[in-house]
Amino acid sequence: MKVETRTSADVLLTCRDVSVGYEDKAILSGVDLEIVRGEIVTLLGGSGCGKSTMLRAITGLQAPLAGHIELLGQDMYALDNEARRVLLRRTGMAFQQDALFGSLTIQENVGLPLRELTKLPEPVIREMIRIKLALVGLSGFEKRYPPTLSGGQRKRAALARASILDPEIIFCDEPSAGLDPIVAAGLDETLCQFRDVLGVTIVVVTHELDSIRTISDRAVMFGGGKIMAMGSVADLEASTDEAVYNFFHRVAAERPGRAGDGVDRLHHARTA
Amino acid sequence: MPVAHTTFDRKTRTATVRVAGDVSLTTAKEFYGHMRGVARRRDVRSVVLDFEKAGRVDSSGLAVVSLAARMMERGGKAFDLVHLGETHRAALDLLPRDAVAVADETDHPGFVRRVGMSILDYQDAGAAFLALLADTGRQLLYVITRKKRLPVGALTDQIEKMGVDAVGIVGLLGLLLGTTLAFQGIVLLQRFGAGVFVADMIGISMVREFGPMMTAIILTGRTGAAIAAELGTMKVRDELDALTTMGVSPTRFLLLPRLLALSIVQPALSLMSMFLGIGGGMIIAALVLHLPPDLFWDRIVARITFGDFLHGMGKSLIFAWIIGFTGSHLGMRASANSTSVGAATTRTVVVSVFFIIVVDAVAATISTIGAHP
Ligand SMILES: Nc1ncnc2c1ncn2[C@@H]1O[C@H](COP(=O)(O)OP(=O)(O)OP(=O)(O)O)[C@@H](O)[C@H]1O
Ligand SMILES: [Mg+2]
Repeated sequence: MKVETRTSADVLLTCRDVSVGYEDKAILSGVDLEIVRGEIVTLLGGSGCGKSTMLRAITGLQAPLAGHIELLGQDMYALDNEARRVLLRRTGMAFQQDALFGSLTIQENVGLPLRELTKLPEPVIREMIRIKLALVGLSGFEKRYPPTLSGGQRKRAALARASILDPEIIFCDEPSAGLDPIVAAGLDETLCQFRDVLGVTIVVVTHELDSIRTISDRAVMFGGGKIMAMGSVADLEASTDEAVYNFFHRVAAERPGRAGDGVDRLHHARTA
Repeated sequence: MPVAHTTFDRKTRTATVRVAGDVSLTTAKEFYGHMRGVARRRDVRSVVLDFEKAGRVDSSGLAVVSLAARMMERGGKAFDLVHLGETHRAALDLLPRDAVAVADETDHPGFVRRVGMSILDYQDAGAAFLALLADTGRQLLYVITRKKRLPVGALTDQIEKMGVDAVGIVGLLGLLLGTTLAFQGIVLLQRFGAGVFVADMIGISMVREFGPMMTAIILTGRTGAAIAAELGTMKVRDELDALTTMGVSPTRFLLLPRLLALSIVQPALSLMSMFLGIGGGMIIAALVLHLPPDLFWDRIVARITFGDFLHGMGKSLIFAWIIGFTGSHLGMRASANSTSVGAATTRTVVVSVFFIIVVDAVAATISTIGAHP
């Protein structure tokens, strides 16, 4: 589903020269990114390279250290809290650590945005929950509490919750981590359905090569504190850049200083 | 413009519902009301949902269509969708085929079963509590015989948290309690010209009753609740299980330091509050009765026996164990959802205070009857 002629209304997310990090220490910098309505963009990169941090910045949870982020045409960090909340209702976020409410059942978790933010009648709410849970393969789990679900099931419940308001853009942080290949493929299919049927734009952080190949319209690869590569998966796979090549061909990267720096590492651990 | 409009054909008894515009979060409520109205009509045999003029159908719209299909089926009406666009078809494909709607009602157990279940619960809890006591005893033995040791620094840490940080509040309340008792006592005893006996009264009540009891109640709120909350949170986050899988006994690692610290802190704080209570009484007696403090103190020393003192200190040790064991037991039994931690915490306070007062009453009865048979 490629959009050929873009208008400004079709650009849902713009990042211009963005740096993100913690306490003035930039983890990613100089990020320029545009995400267009109706595409699935995967964010790739090694563990700890800053993908989740980037998502936090995009979704208004953590101001970038520098640069400009525009989500759905608005600069979130210039809005007051109420306006920001209104804007964020048009988005959905499935966190890496599911972030389900432990004291609520799955059904209550998924339906929470509906019950809090809409005036829909209860039967409709229940039906919407039922449909969304069926879509992520969790029919029959309505009455269970999150801690009694497996990790993969919790992730899927989180995705159902993130998508319950039919947001224009959904952010998923590693939705298929910890899923078996069959369920993971089912989840990929669900994401594609969201895109094709409901017209949702999706930004997915993932490490699963299969998933990347099936769902991405575009992939963005982070590394070395910046965007290392960006483009279609075919482009990236054909890349001659060593790190990009290694990622796609699963070559174990040389770990810096494997032997001989033990004392150094201990020292860092203590001062960290 | 309304989201749906119905025409009715009397001959075929068919209601045709024409959907107009988007069916989304904002219009779904109206659409649902409309469909329910149609479903309730007795004269309608079959319903046709016409999508010719329909726009975007989002999940709330889908939910209404799915609900409508079920309502019609239940009412014995035929239900057809016509003029579906490509996007409508794709959207309707999202509906689960096999998943049956879950029944809303959970089965409520009957009265007898509820009583039975709660008895079993208590039995369960009782057994777990005894196991905890036994395990604590065993771990304590290991520590005493130096087969195992307490985590480094844990005991002093706990003493600091439970004791040092509570000195201010316990001290202040002890002092205030002493002054209050003095006022009450003076008013009463002066009528009989026996004002000087206020010293005896304050001494006895602070040492035997109020010192230990008040300290125990403050520590229940501060420390017992904290123990339950800490252990409960750890339980919920599987940290207790993590300890077990590492081969570390949670009882030794978490419980023992807390219990031992309480056993030191509670008597110590009680002692302090006894003295401050007496001090408070002394000040009031000096101000109101002009009773010289040294005379006051002489009466205290003459009146209070070592037995009274032991009675107070012994009780405060028992209170410490009540608080420690209740907090740990209820905290560790918190279940897998996060409200259970709050519940464990409040229950700890209620249960501890209850047993503290029961033990106190029993001790008072036994010692009084024992002394004056
Ligand atoms: N609250 C924080 N304070 C300081 N540093 C943090 C904080 N959270 C994360 N970091 C650091 O920021 C870096 C990026 O973290 P982030 O969670 O964004 O990585 P990631 O790319 O999502 O990794 P993964 O694939 O493992 O989820 C890491 O080095 C991490 O240690
Ligand atoms: Mg992450």
